[in-house]
Amino acid sequence: MSGIRWAYAINQWKPQFDDFVRREQHERALKTISIAGFEGVELTYGTGRWEPLGNPQQLAANFGSVAGFGEFLRSCAVDAVSSWYWDPAERSMEDLTGPLSPLAEADAPAIAQRAGLLAGALAELGGSVLLVRPVPGAGDVEPLDDDALARVAACWDAAGRTTAEHGIRLALHVDFLSALRRDHVPALLDRTDPALVGLALDTGELTAGGIDPLGVIERSGDRIWHVQFKDALAVDDAGEYLQPHAHWTVRVRGGAREVPRWFAEPGADGGLVDFPAVTRALLGAGYSGWIVVESDQSPHPAASALLAGYHVQRELRPLVEEEPA
Amino acid sequence: MTAPERAIKWSYMDHWRSNGPSGPVDQWHSRKTMSAFLKQVKAVGFDAIDTFDFRIWQMYGDYGGPAKYQEMVQDHGLERIVNTFHAADYDVRNYAPHVPETHEAVFEDFRVTMGRWSEIRLDNIIVMPATLFYDMEPITEDKLKYSAECWNKVGEITAGFGVKLTCHHEFFCGIQSEPDIETFYSYTDPRYVNLFVDTAQHCIAGLDPVALYDRHAHRVSGFHFKDTRHVATGDDHRHRPDSEIMAPTTGKWFYEMGTDQGLVDFEAMMRAVRDNGYRGWISVEHDKANKEGGDYSESTAISRWYAKNVLEEIYR
Repeated sequence: MSGIRWAYAINQWKPQFDDFVRREQHERALKTISIAGFEGVELTYGTGRWEPLGNPQQLAANFGSVAGFGEFLRSCAVDAVSSWYWDPAERSMEDLTGPLSPLAEADAPAIAQRAGLLAGALAELGGSVLLVRPVPGAGDVEPLDDDALARVAACWDAAGRTTAEHGIRLALHVDFLSALRRDHVPALLDRTDPALVGLALDTGELTAGGIDPLGVIERSGDRIWHVQFKDALAVDDAGEYLQPHAHWTVRVRGGAREVPRWFAEPGADGGLVDFPAVTRALLGAGYSGWIVVESDQSPHPAASALLAGYHVQRELRPLVEEEPA
Repeated sequence: MTAPERAIKWSYMDHWRSNGPSGPVDQWHSRKTMSAFLKQVKAVGFDAIDTFDFRIWQMYGDYGGPAKYQEMVQDHGLERIVNTFHAADYDVRNYAPHVPETHEAVFEDFRVTMGRWSEIRLDNIIVMPATLFYDMEPITEDKLKYSAECWNKVGEITAGFGVKLTCHHEFFCGIQSEPDIETFYSYTDPRYVNLFVDTAQHCIAGLDPVALYDRHAHRVSGFHFKDTRHVATGDDHRHRPDSEIMAPTTGKWFYEMGTDQGLVDFEAMMRAVRDNGYRGWISVEHDKANKEGGDYSESTAISRWYAKNVLEEIYR
């Protein structure tokens, strides 16, 4: 039996900043995740009072303490926070800091310190991986040269050293808008310390970026520390990720084609990812750890979670469970 | 090693709405929407589904009949169709249990209906045993007796097909108060007429569903576990033209088990189920869950979460 555990990402429940702020909404979402067969939940970093699950300070403000949130999770029959996604370019209202950049040497200590805070909370909540956006979007920075890659690698090595002190692994999450999308992932990964930094494989982001997840597993399977299973419904084959502010114009607005929805839960109609093939490849690469299922965006979060649960229970988990010890 | 056989299995009564591109649709809209519905019911751990009698036409039209439709249910990992709800259009002119002159029409309806379902095994055919309250009032002993005689005969017909006839007392039907329910059952034949306890309907009507169940446990053939936040007041039960979704006092009567502010004591109910030695199916229902912003997928998840994490700790 492999050491794969299944979790679900809660981000789809919060499409706008003023959504999903109330305790009863969190309770219903977590119970939905639990009864759909997932034992963990992945959180997404956020800041301010309308992000109750966004960071350790807000967890404490809303649940008394990080441990209090852990008790709340277990009362909903969710065992753990598997992982936390954090983009250092997000400001912190709690710490009165603006965006931090892994490209700026001066920001590296603050990034490492912040990663440590998140890792400490994650460890308390039974998690194992801090996912980070390793660089900004391709349209928002100069092309990454050797010096830039070296600075980024040093930044994440330092952050990985900090998270490791809490027993938490740091994994680079490369999205379809990333400045690392074309060719740079191996260049960065090869510059990092494999004991400190790993890769998060996000099937939907890779596919939307025109990259075959199977190829990534083949090349970097030994560096994969975290997996997200989400489907892609469209591919950015026109290279729109190179535009400035593509996070808004492409991801949110859908680019020139006005793509209504880039991502969906595994098994969705029109999905481009072959999840059984990816699952088998991960098993072949000896992957052990969390697989976080995501819809990322959904007009109907509860239905997405249940449909994803069905797909995992009936199609994917049997592949994992038939794996010899 | 095989798992021990469970005393209780869970069936989902198949009310459903989802969002289609042109607005809300039910699961019978297409094979694709049916598949999505069945996947969600299976994903949260239900063992089977219940359905409505009037859906048989879509079963024939889209799937080739109840047996073929049940194959689709089973292809999604669910065991079978357990119960069907016979939602009759009562009318005192031609089809009303308390009007003896209409009984032959009722009997013929059930002879035909049971024949249509005979290609699959059903446990119960569920009926509302009376017309709408305002079509039956004043509720007299004679009317309760005529109704009982009607269902005694119908129960004999359904028993001939191996299916139990069971009565589900909506809060807005003519037999919903405690004394009227007791009188009604005193005239029914326990061989042919069973009680189907809908926890919310009895609660809305001001009855304690646990006490009602305890009194009639020997003839209870199933349950709808659903919750409510409101007890009917004033003329709620006799509001014209409709009480169920048009009563001025209450826009939404029914909620999923496990809801906040629910009035049904499900833990007490489950202890009663255990202590009465009931074995078999419990159906979960939350009809009209989408009213006032509700969501069927979420309500289905919450209710099954509650069954698994709270009720199965009491009895499984």
